[in-house]
Amino acid sequence: MQRRDFLRKLAITTGGITVGGSLLAACGGGSSTTSDGLSIGTPQNPIKLPVSTDPIADGLANESGTLEILNWADYMNPESIAAFETKFGVKISTSIYDTEEAAVAKLRNGTFKPDVILGMTDTGLAKLIAADILQPLNKSYIPNFGNVISGLRNPYYDLESQYTVPYFLYGNGIGYRTDVIDKSAFAQNGYEVLWDTKYKGRLAVLDSYRDTLAMAIFRNGGNDANSSDPDEIKKAGEALIEMREAVNPKVDILGYQEIPAGNRDIQFLWSGDMFTAVQYLPEGVDPGVLGFWYPETTVTKNDFMCITKAAKSPVLAHQLINFLSDTDNALLNREYVGYQPALETITVDMLLASETIPESLVDALVTPEKYEIGLAQVTLEPEVDALWLEQWTAFTAG
Amino acid sequence: MRRAPRLWTLFALPGTTWLIALFAIPFYAVACVAFGTIDPIFRDAVPQWNPMSWDFTQASQTLASLTSGPLRGVAIRTVVYVFCAMVISFTIGFPIAYFLARHSGKRKLLFLALIIVPFWVNYLMRMLAWVNLLSSDGLFTRFMRLFGVNYNWLDGSPITVVLGLVYGYVPFLILPLYATLERLDWRLIDAARDLGANSRQAFRLVTMPMSKAGLVAAGILIALPMFGDYYTNDLLSRSPSTEMLGNQIDFFLNASSQPQNGALLVIVLSIFLLVLMSFYLRSTRQQARQTTR
Amino acid sequence: MINRLRGRRTSALVYVIWGYIIWSLVPVIIAVIYSFNDGRSRTVWQGFSFRWWWQDPNASVFQSSEMRNAIINSLVLAVATLLVVTPLGVALAIGAQRISGRGTNVVQGLTSAPLITPEIVVGAALLITFTRLFTAVPLGFTAQLLGNVTFSLSSVVVIVRARLVSIGPSFEEAARDLGATRWQALRFVLLPMLWPSVMASLVVVFATVIDDFIITSFLSAGVSSETVPLRIYSSVRGGATPALNALATLLVLTSFTVLIVGLFGLSTWRKRHGERGGMRAALADVTRMSS
Repeated sequence: MQRRDFLRKLAITTGGITVGGSLLAACGGGSSTTSDGLSIGTPQNPIKLPVSTDPIADGLANESGTLEILNWADYMNPESIAAFETKFGVKISTSIYDTEEAAVAKLRNGTFKPDVILGMTDTGLAKLIAADILQPLNKSYIPNFGNVISGLRNPYYDLESQYTVPYFLYGNGIGYRTDVIDKSAFAQNGYEVLWDTKYKGRLAVLDSYRDTLAMAIFRNGGNDANSSDPDEIKKAGEALIEMREAVNPKVDILGYQEIPAGNRDIQFLWSGDMFTAVQYLPEGVDPGVLGFWYPETTVTKNDFMCITKAAKSPVLAHQLINFLSDTDNALLNREYVGYQPALETITVDMLLASETIPESLVDALVTPEKYEIGLAQVTLEPEVDALWLEQWTAFTAG
Repeated sequence: MRRAPRLWTLFALPGTTWLIALFAIPFYAVACVAFGTIDPIFRDAVPQWNPMSWDFTQASQTLASLTSGPLRGVAIRTVVYVFCAMVISFTIGFPIAYFLARHSGKRKLLFLALIIVPFWVNYLMRMLAWVNLLSSDGLFTRFMRLFGVNYNWLDGSPITVVLGLVYGYVPFLILPLYATLERLDWRLIDAARDLGANSRQAFRLVTMPMSKAGLVAAGILIALPMFGDYYTNDLLSRSPSTEMLGNQIDFFLNASSQPQNGALLVIVLSIFLLVLMSFYLRSTRQQARQTTR
Repeated sequence: MINRLRGRRTSALVYVIWGYIIWSLVPVIIAVIYSFNDGRSRTVWQGFSFRWWWQDPNASVFQSSEMRNAIINSLVLAVATLLVVTPLGVALAIGAQRISGRGTNVVQGLTSAPLITPEIVVGAALLITFTRLFTAVPLGFTAQLLGNVTFSLSSVVVIVRARLVSIGPSFEEAARDLGATRWQALRFVLLPMLWPSVMASLVVVFATVIDDFIITSFLSAGVSSETVPLRIYSSVRGGATPALNALATLLVLTSFTVLIVGLFGLSTWRKRHGERGGMRAALADVTRMSS
């Protein structure tokens, strides 16, 4: 079933994914473009993004030299990088970003000037489009696009995949040490575990205001990851402050290193992180110590690859996207990154059969069912975004 | 000195122009961003270059945030941390500077050299050294466990951050303190002793008043960078409960889409430090007057 | 009796000093030692090896392309800053001391202000300036160079000015009495006498720039303009190997080498030109910045 249809029904029946009422009114017709100029697509109102330039011509030769990538830390296998470098006779240079907001800000002010951006999600896409930073793709260079999960080939945030090709799938949840915390702790309101003073000083949450504030909304009983209700947002902020007072959490994206190292017992993080964590276990430690709780009410999404307008090596950039969408390359990439590639050919059954998934982390796999009931996370309108950021600042400023 | 304005002005011109362009004007740019407007789409800063049209609504919001809003905690915490770090630094630094100044001998040069060494060791390396020692299986942590102290040093601990600041900045305190104390006229102290004062009275009634201006100057000299410090906290803690003002400035300017908040905080910090700096200048002038022999 | 009291107090303070020196230096020494650790840990000793210095083909300091990149960037930035800031600073020091009139106070103030301004203020201001006002300046090496020059300029001025003051005007005046032009007096009399202060500023600026973090970090543009302190900072928070210790050690060794070469150079120059003071004066020259 097309996710779009299912989620439309879900939105209507349960109000699971909503864009604020006033915004819908402002939108008028079926268009999701707001009057300020941000083209925000939602599952309820998918969007065909505006295109201001032509994609590159067909049949151009690959450039030589260096391909500049902007990526999260540890989000591409060095072996895959080496394989690409050898295959195309070029060098790859990677700049790292820690949060999506920082990446968008730095792309806009010229600090980052990559050819390819990996790991961006649709919460940042609208701003990148509005700032005219991306170029439309020429799919003739990306024959492997056919490998992408069929339901994601025409995503709500980028109809006809003009700018983006999916990269990895993941869902937000809680990773933990099974030798310290038992699965049953999550039986009731699982999110509440993060507020338990038992884990004071041994706990962390994601350094991502959209993910962590939404989690607080869910903990409070809400189910809108894109809430524009000032009250709900404020209560979420207060819940986070309550957490800060109770358990003194760290705020970073290093759970995949710190949990296996034994420096912390529990973190709200992205599901793929726990698979990455397997590699950071000290010698001789059984992967069974890593566990993941996949909540019923949570964000599940994919990130993507895209190419900047000012790319100096656009053909190579296309080649990289094509390279990473090849099943074997994606599996190699996955060996290091841990996350699930968004490819049709890499199914959950196949992963389970490959016997690379520790028993304790089976729950961290994103199954089609989990994806269906998972919530989408879209770009917020600027005024709403400001409310979220305000609460986040109140939390992180201590 | 003959007056030869043209040659010497020509000499001073390149450097002065440089400083105006890249030191003075940037402050103006900060003000223009801080008192400018906000782009409605990206919530990004739009600088206002005409001082006549400066908009102070954001500024008053930030001030409100600092005095009674979310940033109040950060502001207070920064002041408290710096104050504690200063007190501890003086407790450690003053006796050492005093000893060096007062007691000369064959080993004085050796001590001076050893005390200057931390200057030339990269600040980050000195912090890295402690991150290694304080991590959960670090040497210091294991050592303290022998005494039953089972503490997570790197998990958002204010003690670690304050002691980190002390470790980082105490070398920068000792040298100016030493310079001050060395310039004192010790004959006055000997005279006091001869007149019957015991060592404590001589210290309290002669040494301290004479060196007070120099002490204040040295203290402010390390307080200024401490107020803007952010990497010490970042390296040793990374937890919101130890967040300092510098972290907020770094966050807003480098990791968020709202640089105007960062610009505003920079201005607030600068004004606060200007007050301190004027104390510093007054003290150095006082000190120059006092210790001229 | 007074002497005896003094004696007791002296011995207590000696322990304090040694205690401080140990507390100050031992953590760094331990970090250096662990750079020779055989295993991946920075905290648990697993044997001695040069693995992280050059043996490991991917992650060691000399073989890892990111670390080599950082080292090269640091050195290039330091040398480039030196080349720009030294003539600028010497000229400014000479000119500022000798101009008269209304501009003098402004120039003095402008020159001393960066010394007491915290780096984060300077870094933030420059970042905003280069992204909003002087947008022709790209972030990265260019911006880092400009920022470091701005920040070190005052140090050079302070060092050179101190020497100017101690030299005094008499030598130039004597040269002019003997028929030299102002320019000749400057070039053949004053500048040679300023040489030790130039040497001292070379040492101080090199060490300042190579160790600089805040300004270089604020003005960086991703991995291509990463210097060693930036690399250390971004790696500490992750699961870094002892290669990080090795990198930091390399940084410190570089600073120390430059310092010692500078000190000996200064000392030798002093001896050859008949100025007293030797090593202690050389040390004073170089630490003028901090006192």
